[in-house]
Amino acid sequence: MMSFEEIEHTADRAFRVKGRDLEGLLENAARAMQALDGVGPAGEPSATRDIEVEGVDRESLLVNWLNEILFLEETHQLVCERFHIYELNDCRLRARVETRECNESHTHIKAATFHNLKIRQTSAGLEAEIVLDV
Amino acid sequence: MLSKGDFVRIADNIWIPSTFRDDMRVPARLYADEELLGAALGDNSVVQLVNTTTLPGVIRHAIAMPDIHQGYGFPIGGVVATRLPEGVISPGGVGYDINCGVRLLVSLTAAEEIKPFLEDIVSSLYVNCPSGVGSRGHMRLTNTELDRVLQEGSRWMLEKGYASREDLDRTEEFGRVPGADAAFVSDRARERGRDQLGTLGAGNHFIEVDKVAEVFDQAIAARLGIYSGNVAVQVHCGSRGLGHQVCQDYVSRFQKAVRDYGITLPDRELVCAPFDSKEGQEYFHAMACAANFAFANRQLLTHMIRHSFEQVLAGKIKDFELRQVYDIAHNMAKVEEHDIDGHRIRVCVHRKGSTRAFGPGSSVLPEDLRDIGQPVLIPGSMGTASYVLIGTTEAMQQTFGSTCHGAGRVMSRAKARKMIRETELRDQLRARGILICAGTMSGLAEEAPAAYKDVSRVVEVVHRLGIGRKVARLEPVAVIKG
Repeated sequence: MMSFEEIEHTADRAFRVKGRDLEGLLENAARAMQALDGVGPAGEPSATRDIEVEGVDRESLLVNWLNEILFLEETHQLVCERFHIYELNDCRLRARVETRECNESHTHIKAATFHNLKIRQTSAGLEAEIVLDV
Repeated sequence: MLSKGDFVRIADNIWIPSTFRDDMRVPARLYADEELLGAALGDNSVVQLVNTTTLPGVIRHAIAMPDIHQGYGFPIGGVVATRLPEGVISPGGVGYDINCGVRLLVSLTAAEEIKPFLEDIVSSLYVNCPSGVGSRGHMRLTNTELDRVLQEGSRWMLEKGYASREDLDRTEEFGRVPGADAAFVSDRARERGRDQLGTLGAGNHFIEVDKVAEVFDQAIAARLGIYSGNVAVQVHCGSRGLGHQVCQDYVSRFQKAVRDYGITLPDRELVCAPFDSKEGQEYFHAMACAANFAFANRQLLTHMIRHSFEQVLAGKIKDFELRQVYDIAHNMAKVEEHDIDGHRIRVCVHRKGSTRAFGPGSSVLPEDLRDIGQPVLIPGSMGTASYVLIGTTEAMQQTFGSTCHGAGRVMSRAKARKMIRETELRDQLRARGILICAGTMSGLAEEAPAAYKDVSRVVEVVHRLGIGRKVARLEPVAVIKG
């Protein structure tokens, strides 16, 4: 079951996502964005890809991470199926993702944005609301 | 939740919201009739407008056009100017689709004459003008060629034979924004844009074949080559993945810059840097490159549209050649001079979902348009009317030479998908004689007319305010949706 829900937004797409910890939040956010974009596996498994992201804090790490996933989707037509985040702190992330050729997206997400973005601590872990430019 | 009671009407169709924040540096101003004000209150757009009044260097007032709707950071349909050199430039004030804009072409052929060939024209346009998210164009540029596109925009297309001199004369900034320096465009942005020149993209982008349905100002329309009943073609698209990446790169980088410059903001998507700072200048150079890419993109699409008309109509009817009326940007930050409180002041005008609408006498217009003002193109939502306006002196005085950019959304994409069935929508459009061909049919419902405000109402407001005067109305006969 996906740990996200879509939020109403007049022009763009937005979602609320949860995770037990930062790693879980990053992974769930990536899956949520791919789901909203309507991309899914439609071809052969591709080589794994290494992703390295830096940011000034956890929020910028989250946005930059999502934009890396979008880049793989738009430029290489790849959907990420499995995520192995093997180095993570508030300002740096290194991950290996298993990808597969994907179908064309429905939505055309241009970018993940920082709009009102704040990662909040909850009793169950972490939560954030992310607006995607469409 | 805001209500109309939170606004003061200072003149017909001009509203000032109360002071919602203590850190507002200037007032906000909303141009709308009562119904459109009500629509603006349906989402967070007014809060977003007020947030922009906190930007360092913001001057006079932050402005919302009648097509305002909620965006991210800045609202869509906003105009915010900052005083130079110390005022800021904000990548979020331009948006991810840098120089998203509209181009209008017209012919001397009556729309009725091409009716028998319309399906073939649509098929040809669909094949020749790639659409969809990751669509690739017919051209894959080398690094050197891409550098030239980024720095020269439509001028490079002229050299390559994809443009005429007249096309460039009828393009904002003559198809080349000054200040472009490709050294500030990342490798990643280049990778995204390398094969996207001449592609439409997805979302609300389109190519539309129209009929000139009504002419309001015969004299101006004739000067622009617009005659009642004739064929027109609109192209709406922007800088594709290259522009998206430029914006991403600098919004991310400016997260640190705001800390370094001690700038406090109500929303991180408003990040900015002083225009004359290293960061501000580098973004401006990169943004200009993306803007030039967008002009070149619409120019190559224009070439392919002309080719499509030639393929289908040559030898069958006369005078089908398409001449360019104008090409305008509606997502851009530009350095301009404006008269403010009796002084000529250099400003950086952020237009995000708003259109430049310079009036008669502006020295930046081509000589043959200087006495009438700049043509302004206002596309409607899919299947509805679009308008040609002309820029005015009132716009120069009131809105930094700006006006609205379209209908403006009123319904969320999620709600539109729930409420509107795509097959029914397509059938409804067909019943009204509008052919539709979509690169991504699943997104059709999101762009349904019911998801947007009434463009005629929006245009009527700017016309009555005098910040754009009606010249002609276009009605669609075929839409190629991205």
